[in-house]
Amino acid sequence: MKIKNYDYYLIILTTLILSAIGAVSLYGITYYNYLAVDPVWTKTLQYSQYIDEMDSYLYPFLVLLLISLGMCIPKRLFEQDILAKSSALILGITLIISFFSGIEKGLGFILSVMTIVQAIVLILTVKKSKSVRFEKEGYLARIGSSLLHLGLVIIILDFVSLRDSPIHLLIFWSGVVLITVGNVFSFYPEKIALLLPNV
Amino acid sequence: MGYTEYLAAREYLGMVGQPVITYIFIISLFQGLFSILYLIKRDRRYYDYLIKCLYISTGLYFIGFFILVWFHIQIYNTVLIEYPVQLRQMIPVANSRIAAPLWIESEKLYFWAMCASAFALMVKKSKDVMSFMGVILSIFSLVVYFFSNPFKDPLPILNSEITRWHAVLLLSDMSIFQMAGTLYGRVTFYYNSTYMWTHPPMLFIAYASLIITFAACVYMLFKKDRVYDEIAYRYAKIGYILLTTGMLIGYPWAVEAWKDSAWWWDPKISGSIMMWVLYSAYLHSRIYVSKGKMWQTTAYLGIICFASLIFTYLLTYIVPGIHSVVQP
Repeated sequence: MKIKNYDYYLIILTTLILSAIGAVSLYGITYYNYLAVDPVWTKTLQYSQYIDEMDSYLYPFLVLLLISLGMCIPKRLFEQDILAKSSALILGITLIISFFSGIEKGLGFILSVMTIVQAIVLILTVKKSKSVRFEKEGYLARIGSSLLHLGLVIIILDFVSLRDSPIHLLIFWSGVVLITVGNVFSFYPEKIALLLPNV
Repeated sequence: MGYTEYLAAREYLGMVGQPVITYIFIISLFQGLFSILYLIKRDRRYYDYLIKCLYISTGLYFIGFFILVWFHIQIYNTVLIEYPVQLRQMIPVANSRIAAPLWIESEKLYFWAMCASAFALMVKKSKDVMSFMGVILSIFSLVVYFFSNPFKDPLPILNSEITRWHAVLLLSDMSIFQMAGTLYGRVTFYYNSTYMWTHPPMLFIAYASLIITFAACVYMLFKKDRVYDEIAYRYAKIGYILLTTGMLIGYPWAVEAWKDSAWWWDPKISGSIMMWVLYSAYLHSRIYVSKGKMWQTTAYLGIICFASLIFTYLLTYIVPGIHSVVQP
């Protein structure tokens, strides 16, 4: 498949997965409203069941989103067939871990892998490596895109696997900074270039 | 300075602010009329009148906002909550003043409308989008006037809390402990919270910017012209940055203020996630806006995103939850 078409279908896939997460959220609102007929339901076991149920609907789409992101980002590093095989391998390992230890552990695995991959992409982007390929033009926009995706993966990892960790909020704020700076760099590279003329 | 001065300031706010919002209402009616006339007749004069109306209504919105700022300063200066001695052993402060943010209760829709008016002035070069914005803002001002007028019965919830506090002070019985405890929580984690001063205004400014994205997307479909995508994208960028960071800032606040309360997957949070992923989908889809009919998909997504934004805002009033005013 041509690289341009490949990128296009990946974007379509990402758009569909994001829309599906939107649909899950809409279902959550409806279901919550239905359960709230009982005014004290959030103080009963029903509430934790509701949370588990919603998480179980969300997590498969998160895995898909990460796979899509995973295929989107390292395509800047690897050939398509290597990428497809490694994505299939990661998905396979995620499914095995999910089967034996639960989807939260599986998601934790894929998130850890993606955090490493995104960090490598960011380092290579900063070093202006020729092996990294982007849809976006311009050095600052590419740094922005890398920061944004790294921040996003870190925040999801923090929510899924580090909720009870003492550094949970510290990691969260790091993710917020990465996402915000990434967004600004990604959307306004020309204005940032004026502020940082030596970059 | 005390309760009597607070009541006087509240009455004065109504007296000064009500004419301002009435003028906004009247000017907005003309603004809507000129917008429609321009859209139908394409006469330049109507457009000039529309721009003048928009400048006046935006100016009036800001005047009203400064009056609200004055009222909030009066609240801070006149209302002092001195906690009972026994309670002071459990909390780190002896007394509190209320630094009420300017986007609570009926003021939030006013703040949003004011920001939307200011943003609209930035698109006046695009006459089509501007005139459509004129209609939207006109409807917005009507909604503010009839359903969320901050000058008619100002801040009813905060007012009832202040009134009850002064009532229990006169009683001098044990109910003062319960009331002081409740007020301490409200002041610390809500009114005076840093998050309250950052999380909601970022979202309202984002919403204001995203109205223009919506208007441009509608026009893109209506005129079948991709030229409107540039306008839609320009304001989606501002909106998305503020929406993302504003939403994220809400998380540590929820952890701090709600602790073990049932807030995860609350309808407002689900709605916000839905809105954010849809806007992310919109921004992804527009990377290929020039490919085939992708511009149409992008425009439809922009409209769906805005519908989800309105829905998320209304969730506070229609579905029960920790963010809501509705009881099951």
